[in-house]
Amino acid sequence: MSRFRISITRRSEPGRWFAAGTVCAAIGFGFVLAGCLFALGGVNPLTAIARIIMGSFGSLYGLKETLTKSIPLILCSSGLILAFRARFWNIGAEGQLLAGAVGATFIALRSDGIPGSLVIPAMFVAGAVCGAFWAWIPGILRFRLGVNEVISTLMLNYIIAEFVQYLVYGPWKGSQQFGFPYTDNFHADAVLTTFPGSRIHLVTLGIALICAALVWMVMHHTTFGFSVRAAGESSGAARYAGIHAGRVTVAAVAIGGAMAGLAGVGEVAGIHHHLSYPWSISSGYGYTAIIAAWLARLNPLTAILSSIFLSGILVGGDTIQTAMNLPAATVNVFNGAILFSLIGSEFFMSYRIRIQPKVVP
Amino acid sequence: MRGFLRIGGMMVLITCLCGALMLTACQPAKAPDKNGNPDTGDASAPPITGKIKAGFIYVGPVGDFGWSHAHEQSRQHVMKLFPWMESTYVESVAEADAPRVIDRLVQEEHCDIVFTTSFGYMDSTIEAGKEYPNTLFMHCSGYKQAPNVGTYFAELYQMYYLNGLMAGALTKSKKVGYVGAHPIPEVVRHINAFGLGLREVNPDARVTVKWLFAWYDPAKARDATEALIAEGCDVIAFTQDSPAICEVCQEYAARGKQVLTFGHYSPMQRFGQDAVVSGQLVDWNGLYEEILMRVHTKTWTNRDYWWLAKERATLLGGEPDVPINPKFVEPLKAVTVKDPILGPISVHDLALKRLDQMREPTVLFDPFTGPIKDQSGTLRLKPAERASMSMLLSMDWFLDNIDGTIPKN
Repeated sequence: MSRFRISITRRSEPGRWFAAGTVCAAIGFGFVLAGCLFALGGVNPLTAIARIIMGSFGSLYGLKETLTKSIPLILCSSGLILAFRARFWNIGAEGQLLAGAVGATFIALRSDGIPGSLVIPAMFVAGAVCGAFWAWIPGILRFRLGVNEVISTLMLNYIIAEFVQYLVYGPWKGSQQFGFPYTDNFHADAVLTTFPGSRIHLVTLGIALICAALVWMVMHHTTFGFSVRAAGESSGAARYAGIHAGRVTVAAVAIGGAMAGLAGVGEVAGIHHHLSYPWSISSGYGYTAIIAAWLARLNPLTAILSSIFLSGILVGGDTIQTAMNLPAATVNVFNGAILFSLIGSEFFMSYRIRIQPKVVP
Repeated sequence: MRGFLRIGGMMVLITCLCGALMLTACQPAKAPDKNGNPDTGDASAPPITGKIKAGFIYVGPVGDFGWSHAHEQSRQHVMKLFPWMESTYVESVAEADAPRVIDRLVQEEHCDIVFTTSFGYMDSTIEAGKEYPNTLFMHCSGYKQAPNVGTYFAELYQMYYLNGLMAGALTKSKKVGYVGAHPIPEVVRHINAFGLGLREVNPDARVTVKWLFAWYDPAKARDATEALIAEGCDVIAFTQDSPAICEVCQEYAARGKQVLTFGHYSPMQRFGQDAVVSGQLVDWNGLYEEILMRVHTKTWTNRDYWWLAKERATLLGGEPDVPINPKFVEPLKAVTVKDPILGPISVHDLALKRLDQMREPTVLFDPFTGPIKDQSGTLRLKPAERASMSMLLSMDWFLDNIDGTIPKN
């Protein structure tokens, strides 16, 4: 015999401050959830969470690492936002990033004939083209043959990963790597300069920020952006307005793929300086970027912040092991708790919940 | 009055509370560190006390068996042994993340020595050595040294050779399978050593190689084993980290078909009591004791430790202190070969004799002794010539009794 009634009603588009508040509350709730798990592991949860935050945002060293890891996330998530706005569910940023890495490596290994100063630009162009091509395939498959893009983009991730393995074990295996599956290290011309004392490859960071800003500009201030949104919201209405939904969507998806490709160039030229196992090159950036994009509610400028936040969680996770001697799985549990509550908070943003006394008839 | 509660509002409140609590919690984190030294912010300052702090970086989970598990066992061993030692470890570190984790161990945990235990960490370790000249580094399985960077490795090929002798005595089909993790020099060396043992007892037998391209993938290992058995192999050796192959062979034994195998790295006889003949075991204890003792007594040098049977870093058997599964002692004693020096001798005795010879301080026997020809018939080692270190480290050819390919560029 409850005396209260819970009513759930749909909310109109949440206000900016309400959305921000809900996200912060969700993160707080995630910390509480993770804290309970730390307490179960016999570690003071407040110390643990403080150490994680100190390890990613609270020290200069942590901040540098957080920024380094956020570069590919910013690029991939801005690219994904283009596709998601067109309601094209691209799960393939991971593969598009690897395609970009392959393109860049191809140029880097054959850079002899190119003037030194042109090697890096050529690598970025090649990476963008390869990333765009890898995103164009599922785009064209969907609009010509009606193939579900969730499946095709995901499967293409595996295909390119196997291709990278083939390259590093076979034709591109380095002659100076003692038979190990790496290409030879890139020539100095093909290596990105980093911010002194860190691993932040500045060029890619700049490109990432510019890309995010451009996506925002295009989305809100150009006809193309309008067409993309129209194609996503209602392809029928778009057709009435004279917009070719298929062509516009494929273009948006390919441009998004190009950005993921740029992220791949940054990883091989800025961090690794050679191509190696696919899981070593990417460590799941393409998938984490999906979360970053949604966390930002498909706003590319907010995606910069969400990317930095997510990479901070990844980077700070080390301290769970080094400072507290908890197993590596705890890092995943911690990240999972935060993401779980963030995704759960979507519900509160879309629906209003009221608890009110039951009206006796 | 219709009182209602906004869940959203409540969550904002919770966050504020968390934030406030966290701010207070940040204070003790900045307070004096474990040694009681005030945090001066100087990352490379040596510790004042006589304690030595070691940081360990593992490529996989410490789990129940395999590579990282073996290192972790030895870390716990030296922690018990040396009262002056402190340590911390980080598991499942991707190659690309190694520089960050090394930085953290040096800057935040103030480690005096950092052990990086995967080949892929090599360049990161060398770079870190330049960046932190006051910290010592030991890289496992690499070939690059620096003034403050040494290397160490426990090498198993001698044990593979001994396993090969037994395989030669026990195979009836004269077809032996080998499941390799990755086509890298270390695994190629294992396969060739196994092939050398096989050839010594059974000159007509051949080895068929299948690659997994993974260190740990039980499902793929299972498939590869089934495929080799279907091709007629009745002995399967392997270099990969799961006990899946021992389980497959045990399943065949339960169904009345004998397919034999050898445990790798960790005790795996327990997964196949009727199928695991012997195996290779590693013991990092001695190496870690040696290295840490040298740090403690300030006699550390940037040596390249390459420890084998002689140093007891590698052991024969599928379980500790069980060099040969008792079930297979009689069958191995029943097969006799004629050795040019030892005369007629059972394979059981030959294997144990060879083990003794390799354990002698002067190493009276080494499997990689010429004449050795590769698949194409090229003479790789002249009669009586022993393989050099550089040949062992960059081995990219198969022995002439091995069927399989190493991907080439």
